[in-house]
Amino acid sequence: MAPHPQESDALRGSIDLLVLKALALEPMHGWGIGLRIQQISRGRLEVNQGSLYPALQRLEHRGWVESDWQSTENNRRARYYSLTKLGRKALGEEVDKWKRFAATMAIVLES
Amino acid sequence: MSRFKGLVARARSVFGARSSEQRMEEEFEFHVEMETRRLVDREGLSPREARRRALVSFGGLDTHREEMRDGRGARWLDDTFVDLRHALRSMRRSPGFAIAVALTLGVGIGVNGIVFGAVDSLLFRPIPAHDPSRLVALFNVDARSKQPFSMGYEDYVDFRDKSGAFDGLAAMTDSPLNLAVPWSSGAADMVWGSLVTENYFAVLGMRPTVGRFFTAADAPQGANPFAVLSYDCWQARFAGDSSVIGKTIRLNGTGFTVVAVAPLGFKGLRTFGFWPEIFVPIGMHNVAIPGSTHLLEGRGGGALMVVGRMRAGMDRPRTEAASVGFAAQLASAFPATNATASALIIPAAAGFDNPAYVKPRVLFLSSALGVFASLVTMMIICANLANLQLARLAARLHEIAIRLSLGCSRERLARQMLVESSVVALPGVAIAFAMLRLSGPVEALMVPHLQFRVGFGTTTNDRIVFFTGAIAVLAVTLFGLIPAIRASSARSLSGLIGSPRTAPGRSSRLRAVLVVGQLALSVMLLVGATLFVRSLLLERATDVGFDPRNRALFSTNVGLQGYDEARGRRYYDDVLARVRALPDVANATWGFPVPFDTYGRGVALYVDGVSTSSKDGTFAAQTSTVAEDFIGALGFRLEAGREFTVNDSAAAPRVMLVSRRFASQVWPGKNPIGQRVRRGGASGPEVTVIGVVGDATFASLGQSSAAHVYLPVRQSYRDWETLIVHTRGDALSMIPRLRTVIAAADPALPLFGVTTMDEAVSSGFSTSRTAASIAGFFGGLALLISSVGLYAVVATGVSERTREIGVRVALGSTPGEVMRFVMRGGARLGLVGLMIGLGGAAIVARLMSALLYGLSAADPITFALVPVVLAVIVFVATFIPARRAVKLDPVAALRSD
Repeated sequence: MAPHPQESDALRGSIDLLVLKALALEPMHGWGIGLRIQQISRGRLEVNQGSLYPALQRLEHRGWVESDWQSTENNRRARYYSLTKLGRKALGEEVDKWKRFAATMAIVLES
Repeated sequence: MSRFKGLVARARSVFGARSSEQRMEEEFEFHVEMETRRLVDREGLSPREARRRALVSFGGLDTHREEMRDGRGARWLDDTFVDLRHALRSMRRSPGFAIAVALTLGVGIGVNGIVFGAVDSLLFRPIPAHDPSRLVALFNVDARSKQPFSMGYEDYVDFRDKSGAFDGLAAMTDSPLNLAVPWSSGAADMVWGSLVTENYFAVLGMRPTVGRFFTAADAPQGANPFAVLSYDCWQARFAGDSSVIGKTIRLNGTGFTVVAVAPLGFKGLRTFGFWPEIFVPIGMHNVAIPGSTHLLEGRGGGALMVVGRMRAGMDRPRTEAASVGFAAQLASAFPATNATASALIIPAAAGFDNPAYVKPRVLFLSSALGVFASLVTMMIICANLANLQLARLAARLHEIAIRLSLGCSRERLARQMLVESSVVALPGVAIAFAMLRLSGPVEALMVPHLQFRVGFGTTTNDRIVFFTGAIAVLAVTLFGLIPAIRASSARSLSGLIGSPRTAPGRSSRLRAVLVVGQLALSVMLLVGATLFVRSLLLERATDVGFDPRNRALFSTNVGLQGYDEARGRRYYDDVLARVRALPDVANATWGFPVPFDTYGRGVALYVDGVSTSSKDGTFAAQTSTVAEDFIGALGFRLEAGREFTVNDSAAAPRVMLVSRRFASQVWPGKNPIGQRVRRGGASGPEVTVIGVVGDATFASLGQSSAAHVYLPVRQSYRDWETLIVHTRGDALSMIPRLRTVIAAADPALPLFGVTTMDEAVSSGFSTSRTAASIAGFFGGLALLISSVGLYAVVATGVSERTREIGVRVALGSTPGEVMRFVMRGGARLGLVGLMIGLGGAAIVARLMSALLYGLSAADPITFALVPVVLAVIVFVATFIPARRAVKLDPVAALRSD
């Protein structure tokens, strides 16, 4: 999938959710987040990597993630993102919401 | 907390736009590098191929960048910069438009500011005193005629000490003072002074700028020679030097110690009066006003203005009731003097200008009218400019439609229009604020130039700057909002196709009516201005009856200085001898008043056997007291007889000269030489006419040559005279040297009104000149505004009828025909405006005919000239859009819908 700037809200929401989920484990830089999403989805979800960054910015403005600059294991400067308390709470709520949504969609589509 | 952090992050990203941009690039680069390395490591790609693949999977870099910037809110700033650049570019492309907007808007706002400034200082003239709203003026008022009059000293003292209505009550009276500054080389001068009771500054609750005001404790009898300077006086005459405190200046020849400087902006308590420069204790009245021995006596009316502070807890009606009650007590205690003297209380801010004459309501009404008129002007200007913007916008509707179709938001469009309008308006706002600085000179132009300063004292205070700023914001918003609303409600391309846009709508009819009204008004103003200017030119060209060239004038008031008659005569002779001895001086004499002086003096004359309609059988004539040789020195014409010589002294028989007009009024057809008249009445001293002087103009505005008589100063002594020096060369350049020579006769005696006769004549015309320049200014302004309006209407018409014009051209109309078609509409508006305007102007001209000199109200030159000027303006305003219509490509024009 290749999210366009004017992607639908559903898609945008799903990227946010994936990012939050990927960050739930540990703080991570943007590239790592993309890699992790790929790994968790066993390669089935490959987000357009660049579109992660606007999503991260959005989440940061919402106060769900925060970022600071740290050194990587290879001594490169990178921006690390981590979940805030608010973000962790939001992740739980968003997951519930998504599950309800998915279940509803399933009922509708299978009827 | 985190929400707050989010806000902080957002704010930081807007203000730190540059560094967040750098961080974004760094982050992207890091990502691509990591991905490249992964691809090299995992899939064994060459570094170059790996980087290419990494970039591909990252997706469009620019898209992501844009999205990030949007998210940061930087988009808004970027857009605004784009709009600004665009606006500046389009301003460069159409400088005429930019200049028209800047000028009309600037002048419109500026005039509003100046008018408000004048009203502000007139109505809200702040007395820099403590709680000025508690200050009131106390007048006596005649119980029957309700005529207010000023108070006697003894009544004042009783009101102060016994009425119980005031927390403090002070009194004052004004007088000119001869000022000399012993330690300064600056020349002595006559200044306006105020004699005040010792508690004056205490009652006002005023703080001195420097020094300490005199108080009642300082001078129980009020007889200490102390002086307080006004702030303006301190700045102008003492360079704002604080060391003046404690020094001694000379007033009317007596030493006074300077004790304090009054606060900035304190110009005395009268709005329409001279501004006092020096305040002295009223106990010094014998020095300040020579001969005023009874100033501190008397009841039932006197020379004192009284100002008081209302007692705490009392409002104005209660204070007045208490004062009226106390006046009644005085009336029963002193029936001989106070029987009909009641009391009147008026707010001090408005009170001291003859309370019966200038009612605050009238002032308020005329001020409101002035503000209203200038605001209406402003509205018309805004309407015109909005029209102009709309006309320009109409040409861009197509572009706007395309942008709307491509997804440009309406809000964004409106914002762009607003930015464009603001940029175009900005120079106008700058002009407006620059104009505020003109309020001083404008006031100087309108207020007569007298020996003592008068005026509104218009200054640029915070209130005025705030008001002008508010008007500017309002104007720019009005001017920018209409196109912005229009642009944002424009139809997108699909809506535009097939829309009927050929019929001029209701709004364009309204615009036409507005323009006709403006044109009519400017015609009226132009006719008025032209009449004034022509009248002024005719006035200047008339013979004033004497030769004003190469004559220097110096006035002096020896009476103030305490000279008695003998000393005054010695002084007059001494000065004449010194000045006449100079090689460059052709002649010199004393005379007062001289032509074009601010002052006039009348005399009643009785002639045996000649009857008049007046009660005592006398003739009224203007008079001047002059020294010998005045005919030559003043450049008059001697038509018959002889003029005065030194031999016409106090001991010799009384003689006089009369003007030609006086002679022909009193002795028509007879020889006036040798006729006798009596001064003052039938029993007055007899005077023989020895000569006839050609009629000379003493005042301006065609009040030429009233009947005038000349008396020798040697026979009728005056303590206020003007020295006239007829120089061989340019008088102006000789003034400094002459001043030194005259001052040598008595260095402490001020010379004032120092000027040349040419200057005096010229300022004598200042009233007409002011009228002409004000009418000219507003006529020009109205013309500018209405030409902008006309242009806007015609230009809008052209863009609204683009299709129609295209059809005409396609059907074979020649450029000339198209031009005529477009210009006909504008010309029709111009013609209607001209007709209405000329009709109105004929009425206005009749009303102002009394002000015109040597000119009929139906002056053919004026009424021929104004239509020509208007025709030129109408032509230019319609020609420009018409030429654009001709240049329209018929195919493009048809396609434009």
